[in-house]
Amino acid sequence: MNNSIKMIIVLTSIALVSGVVLSGVSNWAAPHIESNRIAETEAAIYLVHNNARSYKKIETEFGKVYKVYDEEGIPIGYSIVSEGNGFQGKIRLMIGVDTALTKITAIEILEQVETPGLGSRITEDEFKNQFRNLSAQPSVNWVKGKTPEKPNEIEAITGATISSKSVCAIINDVLQKARIEKQSNKL
Amino acid sequence: MELLIIFISAAIVNNFVLSLFLGICPFIGVSNKISSSLSMGMATTFVMVITAVVSWILYFKILLPYNLKFLQIPSFILVIASLVQFVEMVIKKVSQPIYRSLGIFLPLITTNCAILGLALLLSMRNYSFWESIFFGLGAGAGFTMALVIMAGIREELEMADVPEAFKGAPITLITAGLLALAFMGFAGMI
Amino acid sequence: MKKQISYWKEFSKGLWEINPTFKQVLGMCPTLAVTVSAINGVAMALATTFVLIFSSMLISTIRKLVPSQVRIAAYIVIIATFVTIADFVMKAKFPELSKALGPFVPLIVVNCVILGRAEAFASKNNPLRSLLDALGNGTGFLIALTLMGSIRELLGNRTIFGYQLLPESFQPLLIMILPAGAFITLGLMMGLANIYMNKKKKSEIDSVISKYKESKATFEESKA
Repeated sequence: MNNSIKMIIVLTSIALVSGVVLSGVSNWAAPHIESNRIAETEAAIYLVHNNARSYKKIETEFGKVYKVYDEEGIPIGYSIVSEGNGFQGKIRLMIGVDTALTKITAIEILEQVETPGLGSRITEDEFKNQFRNLSAQPSVNWVKGKTPEKPNEIEAITGATISSKSVCAIINDVLQKARIEKQSNKL
Repeated sequence: MELLIIFISAAIVNNFVLSLFLGICPFIGVSNKISSSLSMGMATTFVMVITAVVSWILYFKILLPYNLKFLQIPSFILVIASLVQFVEMVIKKVSQPIYRSLGIFLPLITTNCAILGLALLLSMRNYSFWESIFFGLGAGAGFTMALVIMAGIREELEMADVPEAFKGAPITLITAGLLALAFMGFAGMI
Repeated sequence: MKKQISYWKEFSKGLWEINPTFKQVLGMCPTLAVTVSAINGVAMALATTFVLIFSSMLISTIRKLVPSQVRIAAYIVIIATFVTIADFVMKAKFPELSKALGPFVPLIVVNCVILGRAEAFASKNNPLRSLLDALGNGTGFLIALTLMGSIRELLGNRTIFGYQLLPESFQPLLIMILPAGAFITLGLMMGLANIYMNKKKKSEIDSVISKYKESKATFEESKA
């Protein structure tokens, strides 16, 4: 048999078998992967709003906003996904705020690539808990090396000021956009 | 501005070799002489930019719209392999001097995981067309820079009295560690 | 006729003699990148071994059907298929691990260990031998990655597999989890492996020399 024909036949059949096998595996895996993704987002939505029982997704110009409701169906606030530049790369946050967009309920770090052991401490509870019931009026501020005095202040992590600052900046930025959106009754 | 950030991030802050660990094999294998590592770096940069363009079109215009995402890995690697062959043929036809200086490095590039890494990362990060091109440029520049710096150090290292057991790969890795530490100084740039 | 080595030898040579990481210096990228913790190292090595075993066996089975001009392309497609399967399974069943390993699961495709074993071994040997060779190399890779991950996790985070082993008073060495630490740890480990090998070689040579001297002495004695 002609060698080049053999080459084509062999390669084509290998590629065909590979395609068929992969589409099968993909069909099996796709629902699992999708449900994992949904479970992850849902967990984060409820993590920043302890009393929330259900949510509604709102697509906005600045990203995804989830309006959350308590067990009686009364809206208690928003869970907002936002991202921005940190020290070494992107930081992605889930921010929980009340309905008036003036008080933060909690935050959760979804993704970050900060320096391990320094900037990555923004994922630790000690830092995140500072944002519980923090006032965002007029904006979130940070202080360095002393205990925060005002209700809208947090203390930056020693040795990771830029990472701490970035988290505040991301929150302030997205809240400002959300307030504009709120004024035009889109939220 | 966004494009510039992507370029600097890929080239310096999150350097492909020193902080993402992509393309370690050529980094250890070819970094003996400054001249050859410069050629290798340029050949890689060239292939990276073309790969960025082609894999962007392949992923966002063919695989995603037709719901063929599961073919991503096989199709990417095949495209890269044939792309390298194609580039080699074109360079051979167009310019003999360039072919003589870059030619022998081109086949090595197929197995350079930095190229496939680039294609995978730009699809994972949902980069736009231009962002992908700047990402490829930055990654290539960063790779070249790391390779040339390393070659410079290794040329000096020839003269140093390295313990017998540490000659070759071990001392290169330790040197790379110190370089990676130095590159951390760029971390706050973005 | 080539002398056949034993099946056990086919497996065990991958553990140390031709250990992919320390001896062949292949597959450096995942070795350095994912070994921030022991569990990541194990997961990466298991995924690689899975791909290595199945692609080696399949390539060895069809080795006589594939024309040699297109063999590399054929191997790459086969490897890429198994890598995609591994990637999907990890994403579906172990989403946390898959996230931690990031793009390095798909990058198993260009891990030179796999293509290297396919070209150097599976394309010339029967499926059983290829299976043993793949198992051996995979285990060697697993040992290297687990060791790297454990050392870095222990010194950088006081733990191994999440269990705290060093006391709180031990100040964690941050550098170990940073990229720089990966390079330095691997460099030192390879150097130490070389020292051990050189010593072993030297003692073997020494023992041969002393045996020779002994036999020479007894020979002289008998002559006298």
